[in-house]
Amino acid sequence: MKSTRVFQLTTLALVLVSVVQVGWWLIDQRSYTAQTVAASRAAYAEEAGAAQALLDAGVAPEQVQALLPKIAVAGGRAAVAAPVSAQLASEELTRHRQYAWEGAFFLLALGLCIAVIARALRAERRVLEEQDSFLALVSHQFKTPLASLQLSLETLALRTPPPPQARVLIDRMLADLARMELMVTQILESARLERGRVDFKSEPLKLASAVNRVVSQLEERARGAQVSITADIAPDLEVMSDPLALDVVVRNLLENALAALGPAGPGTIALSARALGGEVELEVRDSGVGFAAADGARLFEKFTRLHPVGSGASYGTGLGLFIVRRLMELAHGRVSAHSDGEGRGARFVLTWPAAGQPS
Amino acid sequence: MSAAAAQVLVVEDDPHLAAGVRENLRAEGYEVHAAADGEQALGWLRGNRCALIVLDVMLPGMDGFAVCRALREQGDTTPVLFLTARGDPADRVRGLEAGGDDYLAKPFHLQEFLLRVRAILRRWDWYRSVSATPATAVLTFGGNEVDFRAFRARTFNGEAQELTEKEAMILKVLAEHGGEIVSREDLLERVWGYDVFPSTRTVDNFILRLRKRFERDPANPRHFLTVWGVGYRFLKDGEA
Repeated sequence: MKSTRVFQLTTLALVLVSVVQVGWWLIDQRSYTAQTVAASRAAYAEEAGAAQALLDAGVAPEQVQALLPKIAVAGGRAAVAAPVSAQLASEELTRHRQYAWEGAFFLLALGLCIAVIARALRAERRVLEEQDSFLALVSHQFKTPLASLQLSLETLALRTPPPPQARVLIDRMLADLARMELMVTQILESARLERGRVDFKSEPLKLASAVNRVVSQLEERARGAQVSITADIAPDLEVMSDPLALDVVVRNLLENALAALGPAGPGTIALSARALGGEVELEVRDSGVGFAAADGARLFEKFTRLHPVGSGASYGTGLGLFIVRRLMELAHGRVSAHSDGEGRGARFVLTWPAAGQPS
Repeated sequence: MSAAAAQVLVVEDDPHLAAGVRENLRAEGYEVHAAADGEQALGWLRGNRCALIVLDVMLPGMDGFAVCRALREQGDTTPVLFLTARGDPADRVRGLEAGGDDYLAKPFHLQEFLLRVRAILRRWDWYRSVSATPATAVLTFGGNEVDFRAFRARTFNGEAQELTEKEAMILKVLAEHGGEIVSREDLLERVWGYDVFPSTRTVDNFILRLRKRFERDPANPRHFLTVWGVGYRFLKDGEA
């Protein structure tokens, strides 16, 4: 990584030096042409002076004309012939045009090189920053459930609580482990999706069964957070997707909605679906923190967390929605996010190709 | 106030960790209140008092450091024990600069957490008990007057000063042992407890701050004297 950066910076420096050189070459050529043309004009003026002297000395105009063909002799006066002056002016103009075209082409090519290198450097810096913040984030996100797990275990060891209390501690530990497992799964899933190593099946699946399965897994957590989840999905609606991927996208969207509801207190998550031509649309609507309209597309980028670390989305890794988008692409579907603004809830719409639906 | 009856406010947004901390503090006999974010904590503290705040750093919205700073700006001197997932030294210093008394990195050992809670409460119990009567609440020396209960002072040139809790505690320890040598280690132990700061140099910095506040010529102190290689001696009437 470091050697690439050194190479990029060296190339950038070389290109910048080339820009200066091309600029200098242009100025130099222009002044050289001007000097050459001026010297030619001076030489012709000298010839005209000599012709005039010969005429004044009584040499026949025909003889003078034969001796100096570039000089026009008329009415006893000698001057540089008009076509010769015109040719000089035309040559000067042609040269200038040539420099302008060649110079512009070289500068444009060099400018493009600079833009490409600068873009690569910026992209690289962004990736490094993202990786740094991702590592900090991941370590923070792991430490919280880890701290809770350690606290529960040490409480069990220190206090030997009666069975009902011990049961509470054990459930808490299992939930902490599940949280950590989800994080590990998401990190691995995103890495796999990035490298494109996914064995993606495409088969007709009942959307209602997948949604109900995921909702039942999250119901207890939602109840604890005073969040009600409702699903209104016709049992016969079928989508074309991978069974595992379908569960993952629905789960990630619900996790996202639960996190968005965190700081807002009690709230609702409503899932509804409908068939639209050859497609099936699932809408996940929450009454959570929402987002600014301009951030809608950015939400699906890797590591994007619109709310600072420790805020509502406290369990998020910044990978959940990235995974949703990639899995939807693999299923030849799409996902979009909508919100009326911060604090005004959000709406996520998933669209799959329908299975066995007349188009 | 006995330590067992002390009220503790736990400010933690992670429900499991919050519950674990709460249950353990209750089991130790503390009366525990809970808040899930900074706003909620500040709201509760506007109408209530407690002996200690266990404050998570990464809170939704306002972070723990900001909560602590807001408290200190309001003149609330309730001791704060920070809990954080970031355990690097720079973060630790930030926490202590924000007015925290101690700093514990997650994941932590339960026994260590309880020990630190006890240590902070013990230090503050001592401070309050030695500043309880009108005679012990106010210290006058060299034209300065220090009010230990209000954490305020009026200096020899009539200037009003706000003291930090640590400055007040150091002054209290020194004044309690007026004329005697107090070692840096003793001061660390009495004011900070164990291993919060890495070195005794911290004590030196606080003594410099006290000299700047209360000495007419801080370069030639008459009240806060250095005993080379050992510690400090406080002379109420000044060195002759």
